[in-house]
Amino acid sequence: MGKPKVAFFKLSSCAGCQLTALNIEPILLDVLGVVDITYFVMAKRENHGGPYDIGFVEGAVTSPRELEELKKIREECSVVVAMGTCACFGGIPSIKNFCGMTQKEVEAKVYTELWDIKSMPVYGIDYYIDVDYYLRGCPIDKNEYLILIKSLLKGINPLFRFHSVCNECILKENVCLLIHKKKACMGSVTASGCGALCPSLGRECEGCRGPASDCNAESLAEVFMKDIGLSKADVARKFLKYAGNTPEFSKGVGHYEHY
Amino acid sequence: MSTTRNIRVDYIARTEGDGAFDVLIDSNGIVKKASWNVWEPPRFFEAFLIGRKAEEIPEFVQRICGICPHSHHIASLRAIERAMDVKVSNQTVLLRELLHYSDWIMSHSLHIYYLAAPDFLGYESVIAMAGNSDLLPIVENALKIKRLGNDMIVVLSGQEIQNKTSVIGGFTSVPSVTDLRKLQDQLKKMKEFAYDTVKLTNTLASQSPYKDLSRRCEHVALQDVGKYAINEGRLVSTMGLDVPEWDYPKYMIEKHVPECNCKHSIIKDRDSFLVGPLARVNLNFNTLSIDAQKAAKEIGFTTPCYNPFMSIVARSIELVHAIDASIALIDEIGTPVFERPRFSYKAGKSFAATEAPRGTCCHGGQIDKYGVVKKWDIVAPTARNVYNLNKDFEEFIPKLLDLSDEDLTLKCEVMIRNYDPCQSCATHSLKVRLQRE
Ligand code: SF4
Ligand code: SF4
Ligand code: SF4
Repeated sequence: MGKPKVAFFKLSSCAGCQLTALNIEPILLDVLGVVDITYFVMAKRENHGGPYDIGFVEGAVTSPRELEELKKIREECSVVVAMGTCACFGGIPSIKNFCGMTQKEVEAKVYTELWDIKSMPVYGIDYYIDVDYYLRGCPIDKNEYLILIKSLLKGINPLFRFHSVCNECILKENVCLLIHKKKACMGSVTASGCGALCPSLGRECEGCRGPASDCNAESLAEVFMKDIGLSKADVARKFLKYAGNTPEFSKGVGHYEHY
Repeated sequence: MSTTRNIRVDYIARTEGDGAFDVLIDSNGIVKKASWNVWEPPRFFEAFLIGRKAEEIPEFVQRICGICPHSHHIASLRAIERAMDVKVSNQTVLLRELLHYSDWIMSHSLHIYYLAAPDFLGYESVIAMAGNSDLLPIVENALKIKRLGNDMIVVLSGQEIQNKTSVIGGFTSVPSVTDLRKLQDQLKKMKEFAYDTVKLTNTLASQSPYKDLSRRCEHVALQDVGKYAINEGRLVSTMGLDVPEWDYPKYMIEKHVPECNCKHSIIKDRDSFLVGPLARVNLNFNTLSIDAQKAAKEIGFTTPCYNPFMSIVARSIELVHAIDASIALIDEIGTPVFERPRFSYKAGKSFAATEAPRGTCCHGGQIDKYGVVKKWDIVAPTARNVYNLNKDFEEFIPKLLDLSDEDLTLKCEVMIRNYDPCQSCATHSLKVRLQRE
C-alpha cells in the first residue's frame, strides 16, 4: 500500500477534535510525509472524493442530512474512527435527549420559526454504522490519536485499555477529591487515558471519556447522595452529560426520569 | 455579460464548519441574490442548558467552539458571577485575560496562516505552501506561533482546546511561575515574526482589487478603561453607541425579514454592523500596545478603516498586541498563589460580553436560588456578522463582474473569510435558510 488516504469529516461538533488533530505542529510535517490527507475541509481547498483508507469522524449525528452523510462515509472508508466523545457517545449535544422536553419543544426554545428545522435525538455514530476504532475524550487525547495512526500504519491493533481514571490518579499520587475533598468526582466510573487530567488539576473528573470497562454507576450514585450530599437531580445531571446515552452511565440515574 | 450567472459553492474551504454561499447574477449583470448560508444543524445549546446547574454552563458553552472556547467560557462565567454576586480576585481577572489572549494568538495565527494566506497567495492549503522552499520558513514560524498559543492554554488550563481549571470564582489550580516565565521567553522570541506578519498581510490585502473596496458600516466592540478590551467593557460603536455590556440584548437585536425568512442582526433603530478585529482596532486603537500601534503606523494604517479586506491586517496588528499584552500580564501576575474558588447560589439575572477573536461574544440568562438555569441566551460573533457580510456581497460583487466565475468565487470566499466565520458558533442562534431555485 502507498500512503494511506486519510479523510476528516465533521458532523455536529465544536471542531475541537479536528483542531487537536492539527495541533501536532512539531511533527505535523512528518505525519504528512506518511499519510495522504485527501479530505479535510477545515484545512484545505482541494478535497478529493473517496474511497479512503481511514476516515476520522468528528461530532454527533443530529439531523437526517448528517445521517445520510455518515452512511456514505461508511461506504467510502475502509476504517472508520469515531473521533471524540461527540462521535463516540453523543457528547454534550446529547444532553438535549435528557432535558425532559420533546424534540419540538427543544426546537421552539431556540427557533421561533420551525419551517426548516429537522433535528433528531443525538447519538454517537455507532448507533447507525459500524465503527472500527474509538478515540474518546472531549477533546481527544493527542497521544492516543498518534498511537492509533501509528498502529494503523503498521497494521497492528492499538492497545487502549479503559480501566478507570482512578488508576491513573493513584499513579500520579493525587489526593483523592472524592474521599478527601468531598467533591463529586466521576473518575471511578470513567475510562482512563487522559492521565487523570482533571483531578491532577484539582478539578473533579466530569466523565468526558465515557464509561470505564468496570463501571459501577449505581454504587457511585449512592456515594454521591450519601457521602457528598448531592440531590437526585444533581446525580442525574452528573451521569447525563458526556455519555448519558450509554447503558452504563444511565444506570447511575436510577429511576429518576429527568432533572 | 449577457447570460445569467449562478455561483453556488457548497462548502467553503478552510472555514470551520459547514456553510455555503449563493450568488445569482441576472443577464443584465445585476446581482439578484447574494447570500451566505449556514447549514450546520443546530446543537440547541440554549435549550438544553435550561435545567442544568450554573457551574455547568461555562463547562458546556466552551464546547460551542473549539477555536474560541474561552470567549464563550469567560463571557458565561462573568454573566453567572454577576447574576449570583460572586466576586473574583485581581489574580483571577489577570489569569482570565491571559487565558483569553492565548485563544487570540492561536486563533489569529490559525486564521492568518492556515486559512487566509493560502487564498491570497493562491495555494490550496498551508500544507501546499510548505512545499515551496521560499515559503517554508514562514510556514515553520506560523506553526510555531500557533503552537505557542496552544502551549499557553496548556499551562493555564491543563489541556489544549477545552479548559479544565477555570470555574466560577476562579481557578482549581494555577500555573507555576517557572512555566509562565518560559512562556514569556517564547512570546518574546515570536514577537518579531508577529511584527513581520503585519507587513506581510498588508502586502496581501493591498493587492488589487481588494485595496479599493470599502464600505462604511457601523463597527461595534467592547471598550475598556485604560486597556484594550478583551474580557469586559462598555459596548461602543463608530456611530455613537455607548452602553454597559449587560445591556446588549436591548441594543443588538434581531430583525425578522419575511422575504428571505431569515433574521438580521442590527443595532436598534439602525442597520447591520460589524464586530471583530477591524472594529476593535478602529475603536480602541489608542489602547493597543505601543509596538502594535507602531506596526500599524509603519504600514500606513489609519483609522477608521472601512475596508473589510483589511480585517486580516487588523488581525495581525492584534497578534502583536496579544503578544505584548501577554508578556505584560505575566509580569503583573508574578508568582500565582492558589486561591480556593468559592461561590454560593443566589437567584439572579445578568448578561456579559467578551471579545472573541472574531468579535463580540454575548452570554447571559437567569438562575434561580438553587443555582438552576431558567433561561440562557447566546449570541456568537458570526451570527452578528452574517447580515453585514451579505451587504458586502451586494456592494462588492457588482464591482467584480468582469472576473471569471472561478475568480469571482474565490473573491467571494475571501469576503467571507474577512469575517473569520465560525459556523459552529453561528448556527445555534442563526435562522438562515438555504434557498434553491
Ligand atoms: S468531543 Fe468535545 S472537543 Fe471533540 S468535537 Fe465534541 S465537543 Fe468538541
Ligand atoms: S480524585 Fe477522582 S479519579 Fe482520582 S482517585 Fe479520587 S475518585 Fe478517582
Ligand atoms: S479526568 Fe475525566 S473529565 Fe477530565 S479529561 Fe479525564 S476523563 Fe475527561
